[in-house]
Amino acid sequence: MRRMNCNTITPEEFVYAARDFIELSNKYFDSWTIHQNDNEILNTYIKKEEFVSHRDENDKIFLYRAEYIIFYNLSYGVPSFSFNLWDCSGKLLTLEQVREISLMKISKEDFYSVVTQQEHPVMYRPYFIIHPCHTAKIVSAFRYTSRNLIITFLGLITPLIQLNLPLEYGL
Amino acid sequence: MTTIDDKQDIIQYVPFMSFVHPSFWHSLTDMKLNVDKLNENTKQIYGRYSYRDDIISVLEVDGTSFNKDPETEFHYINVTGTLMNKNTIEDFKNIDKAALINSVGEIMRANIQIKSWIDNPNSLLNFFVLSFADLKKFHYYYWFAFPAPSQPVVCLKEKCKNISTCFNEKQIKEISQSYQLLEISQKCFFAIVKDGDLYNVVTLSKILDKNRNKDEESNIDLTNTFFAFADHSNCENPGWPLRIFLAALFEYCPDLSKTIIKVIGIRCSKNGAINNSQIYNITVPETIQTPQNVGWVGWERNERGNFGPKLANMSSSMDPVKLADTSSDLNIKLMKWRLVPDLDVTIMKETKCLLLGAGTLGCHVARDLLAWGFRHITFIDSGKVSYSNPTRQVLYTYQDCLNGGRRKSEAAADNLKLILPTVQSKGLVFHIPMPGHPIGESLKDETVTNIELLTEAIKDHDVIFLLLDTREARWLPTLISAHYGKITINAALGFDSYLVMRHGISSAQEETSINSTFVSGDQLGCYFCNDVTAPGNSLKDRTLDQQCTVSRAGVAAIAGALAVELLVGTLQHPLRVKAPAVYNLTDEELDPKLQGVLGPIPHSIRGFLHSHQTVLPTCTKFKQCIACSEVVIGKYKEEGLDFLMNVFNSGTYLEDVTGLSELQLTAEMTEILTLSDEDQDTTSI
Repeated sequence: MRRMNCNTITPEEFVYAARDFIELSNKYFDSWTIHQNDNEILNTYIKKEEFVSHRDENDKIFLYRAEYIIFYNLSYGVPSFSFNLWDCSGKLLTLEQVREISLMKISKEDFYSVVTQQEHPVMYRPYFIIHPCHTAKIVSAFRYTSRNLIITFLGLITPLIQLNLPLEYGL
Repeated sequence: MTTIDDKQDIIQYVPFMSFVHPSFWHSLTDMKLNVDKLNENTKQIYGRYSYRDDIISVLEVDGTSFNKDPETEFHYINVTGTLMNKNTIEDFKNIDKAALINSVGEIMRANIQIKSWIDNPNSLLNFFVLSFADLKKFHYYYWFAFPAPSQPVVCLKEKCKNISTCFNEKQIKEISQSYQLLEISQKCFFAIVKDGDLYNVVTLSKILDKNRNKDEESNIDLTNTFFAFADHSNCENPGWPLRIFLAALFEYCPDLSKTIIKVIGIRCSKNGAINNSQIYNITVPETIQTPQNVGWVGWERNERGNFGPKLANMSSSMDPVKLADTSSDLNIKLMKWRLVPDLDVTIMKETKCLLLGAGTLGCHVARDLLAWGFRHITFIDSGKVSYSNPTRQVLYTYQDCLNGGRRKSEAAADNLKLILPTVQSKGLVFHIPMPGHPIGESLKDETVTNIELLTEAIKDHDVIFLLLDTREARWLPTLISAHYGKITINAALGFDSYLVMRHGISSAQEETSINSTFVSGDQLGCYFCNDVTAPGNSLKDRTLDQQCTVSRAGVAAIAGALAVELLVGTLQHPLRVKAPAVYNLTDEELDPKLQGVLGPIPHSIRGFLHSHQTVLPTCTKFKQCIACSEVVIGKYKEEGLDFLMNVFNSGTYLEDVTGLSELQLTAEMTEILTLSDEDQDTTSI
C-alpha cells in the first residue's frame, strides 16, 4: 500500500477527512464548519465555536467563548489542534488564565509542555496550539482502521480539552 | 389568604448580555481608520442571538456585524442595531444616555405605529451601541442598549409551563417543522393558529391587518391563537424580545385590554426540536398603550452589575508593540516551561545593564541581552558611527554613517528600539578618563563631569559590561563598580583570542584555603588582578591600525555571546554576584551548591580561535591590584577626585600606592617563599 511506512498524512488526506468529518458533524448537529481556499489547500481548516462557563472559587460564573480550529500542520504532516478563548468584551485569555479555568484536564507542568501560544500558521494571529509531536505516531497507527482521521485525532485531544463531542462519532 | 394561583407576577424579562467577538474590534478599527475617520455618523450593524436552549442569553456581534447583509446561521435571529462611535472620550461620557435611548425609542415607536413590523417582524427588535475607540491604546469603551418602553407593565396569569402541557408530541414536531420553513425575517415573531386538530405556523401578516383602522375590532381569535417569539431565555422567565413584541401588539389592538393572551417562547435544542419551548399566559392590563412620553429602558449593566459602560482592553492581542513584546517573552518562557523549570524569567526583565562601549562587542552583547529577555540597556560611547562599522557592529546600518555619522551610543539605543519597541534603551555620550592620560587644565572640568556621569550611571544599573577597546579605559569603571558591588562582566578581544570574565566586588578579602576547590564570587579577581604593571598609555607610540582592535570577524560575536551567558548564569544563581567559581571545571559531577540553574559559572573564559580551544582560569583577588584592592578603593573613598586625578596624571602613581613598585623588586624572593610554604603544607598533610 502507498506510504505504508509513513507516519504522516498528506494535505489531501487531511482535506478528504475534514470534508467527511463535516458531514458527520452536520448529521450529529455538532457545529463544526469547514473553511477552504481553492487556491491553497494548506489553508483548509475546520472550526467550532461554543460558550464555556467557569465558576471561580467565589462561585462567580464567568462566561467565555471558545474557538477550536483543526488545521493541517505542514511541518509535522499531521492535523493540529488550536484554540482561543475570549471574554464578553472580546479580550483574549492568556495562557495562564486558560490554565486557571481548567478547560484542560492536565497538571500545571504538563500544561506548558503541551500548549504553546504562537502565531497560527493558517490564521496568522496568536493562538494556543497543542504541540503535535506525539500526534504522528498515533494517527499513523490508526490510519487504515480509523473511520475518519479527524475523529481519531479528536480522540487524542478530548482527554486534554472538554469538547463535548456527540457520542455518535463513536469515539 | 391568596393562593399562588391568584398571585399575579410581573413579568421579569431576561435581558441580553452583549458578547463581543475580537474581530468586531478589528473591523471597527479598520472602519474608523480607513473609512469613517472623523465622521461620527451612526452606522447600521447586525447582531444575533440564539433561541437554542443550550446557549445562554447573549447578543453577539463580530467582524461580520458591519457587513451589508447579515450572515445567517441555524437557530440564530439577526437583529439590526445602530453603532454610535464617538471621537472623544468626553463625548462618550457626556452624552445624555437617557435622551439617547429615548431618541432611539422614538424611532422604534414610529416603526410600531406605521405597522411595518407586521410584514417584517424582525425589525421590531433593535439594539444600540455607544462606543469610543482609543486606537492608540487599543482600548474600546462601549455600552450596549436593548431599547424597550418602560410601560405597560404586564403580568403572568400563572407560572410558565412547558409546551407539552398544551400540545402533543406530534403537534410539537409539526410546529417545529413548519417553523423551520418560515422565512428568516419572520422567525423572530410569528403566530401559531389552531385549525381543527391542526396547528399552523403563520406569519404575523396572516392574522394582523396592516391596513386596519384603529377603531375597528382586531378580530383575533384568542382561544385559538398563540403568539410566538424566538426565546433566548433558558429559565422560566421570557426573553427580552417579548417586551417589545407585547408593546407592539397592544399598540396595534387596544381591544386586547383585560384579556388573556397565550404566548409561546420558542426554544430549540441543537437538533431543531422545540420541546423545551415555554407557554406564557399573559394578563393584559387595562391601560395597555404606551404613553407618548414614556421613557425607554434597556441600557446593559456592566460586569459590576451597574448601569455603566464596559471596557475592552484589546492591547494584548491588537497592539503590535505589545504583540512583539509578549511574543519575544514567549521564547524565554518556553525555556522555563519545557526545559528549565527553575529559570527566573523576571530577573532578566528587571536587571538594568550598562554597556561601556558600543562597538563590535557592545552591539553583540546588546542583541544577546535582548534575546535573553533583558529590557533595560544603556550604552556609553563617545564615538560616532563610521563607514567601516556597520558590517561588524551589528546594530548599525549604512544610514547611521551618513552626514558625519550618528553618535554610536544614541544610534545603538535607537536601533535596539527598532528591534523591540518596548526596550528601555538609552545612549550616553562621554569619554571615560584613563590612567596615564594626563588631564590638562582645559579638560579638567569636562573630566570631572564625565567621572560624575560615569559614577551615576554605574550606580543606576545592576550590571556593568566592560566592552571598551583599551585596557586603561577599563580601569575607572572597574574601580567604581567594585566599590558599589555591581556585577561586572568584562570582555576583551585579541586578533584570534578573547577573554570574558566576571569581577569580584569590594569586600573584605578572605584568606582562601589552598585546598579549596572554588572561589566565592565576591573574592574573584578583576581584569587587573593578574597584572603587575599599572595601565599606562597604550595608545602611545602606536600606529593607527594598532589603536583599534583588529580581530577575526567571529571573535566579537563569540565573546559577546559568552559575556551575556556568563551574566545570565550568574543572575540565575541564588548567590548572584557571590556565585562561586570552581577551580578545575571538569565533566565530573559537581556539588549542586556550586552551580546555578544553568550550570557552573566560571570566573573567566579564555578562547583561542587559532587552536579552537577554551580554558577557564579561576583566580582570587590580588592584594595589590591597582583597580580592586582594598588600598585603592580605600584611597578612592577617602580622596575621591584628587586620587583619580593623580592616577590620570601619572603612569606610576598606582604602582606606588599599591606597593607594586616594591613588589616588582622583591618579586623573585616572594615567589621562592611561596613555593617553600606550599611544599611544607603539602608534606604536613
